[in-house]
Amino acid sequence: MVVYSFYVFDRHAECIYKKKWAPRPGSSSRVPQPNGVSDDQPQSKALSAEDDAKLVFGTIFSLRNMVRKLGGPEDNFISYRTGHYKLHYYETPTSLKFVMVTDTKTNNLRIVLHQIYVSLYVEYVVKNPLSPVEHPEGAGVNCELFELGVEQFVTASLQN
Amino acid sequence: MNMLLQELDNMVVYSLIIINKAGGLVFNRDFNPALNKISVNDLLVLAGTFHGVHAITKSLTPSSLGIPSKERTGIEVLESSQFRLTCFQTFTGTKFLLFTEPHQPNVDTIIHKVYELYADYVMKNPFYQLEMPIRCEAFERGLMSYIRAK
Repeated sequence: MVVYSFYVFDRHAECIYKKKWAPRPGSSSRVPQPNGVSDDQPQSKALSAEDDAKLVFGTIFSLRNMVRKLGGPEDNFISYRTGHYKLHYYETPTSLKFVMVTDTKTNNLRIVLHQIYVSLYVEYVVKNPLSPVEHPEGAGVNCELFELGVEQFVTASLQN
Repeated sequence: MNMLLQELDNMVVYSLIIINKAGGLVFNRDFNPALNKISVNDLLVLAGTFHGVHAITKSLTPSSLGIPSKERTGIEVLESSQFRLTCFQTFTGTKFLLFTEPHQPNVDTIIHKVYELYADYVMKNPFYQLEMPIRCEAFERGLMSYIRAK
């Protein structure tokens, strides 16, 4: 499986951690056009990582509300899939939201996201006395151990 | 009574929603009362929201994949713990949303059959105005007999 990106949002809709992984060399399906014109539209190029995080939050927020409305307050939004990627979602009881974007063939990652929360976020961020509880100016998780942990977790246990 | 309950258990298509290319709700029908009943107003909001989210998810396609914008697709399947939503978008932009049980197989077949019924009974109906709510008895009859037979 391939992981494209990973986001954490706090209960105030602030993106407190985001990470994108570059595709493995040779896996890009981009084919140069014969007339030399790139087929990338400029609009998608203009999207920065911050814009992406905001769009992801808007999407999961809307979908979560939609699912709650239809399935009742106990229903949980788990994932959605498009033709090209799959987005997995896990929300803790404290409204922390973990989002992982992977390729479409990946199975349910709810448990994996829960593991990241329990064994990385709680251990390294929550138990860190210097880590801020709120992130008013988008300070985010500024914790080397957590970042290292996520990095290792994704490269070691998932990308095989 | 038991027979009736069993029958309800076997029907696993919860409901169908059709959204036109502008994001307006043109048709909705519940087949199974498993999902919460929501008002028509909320349903209209839901249709509009889904239309927008569908467009956003299309633009969220990882740019590293290098997929040209024309080939990108929006949400196709959404999973929650109580239902699964399958979305089929026609080439003209009409979206068919089918709510089923989470493990219902062959949803693609069902949704294509629904599209076929739509093409036959709605699009070939000379009195149907494009992009307007669908009020067509033959379509509903065909739909009911197909879904109930499942």
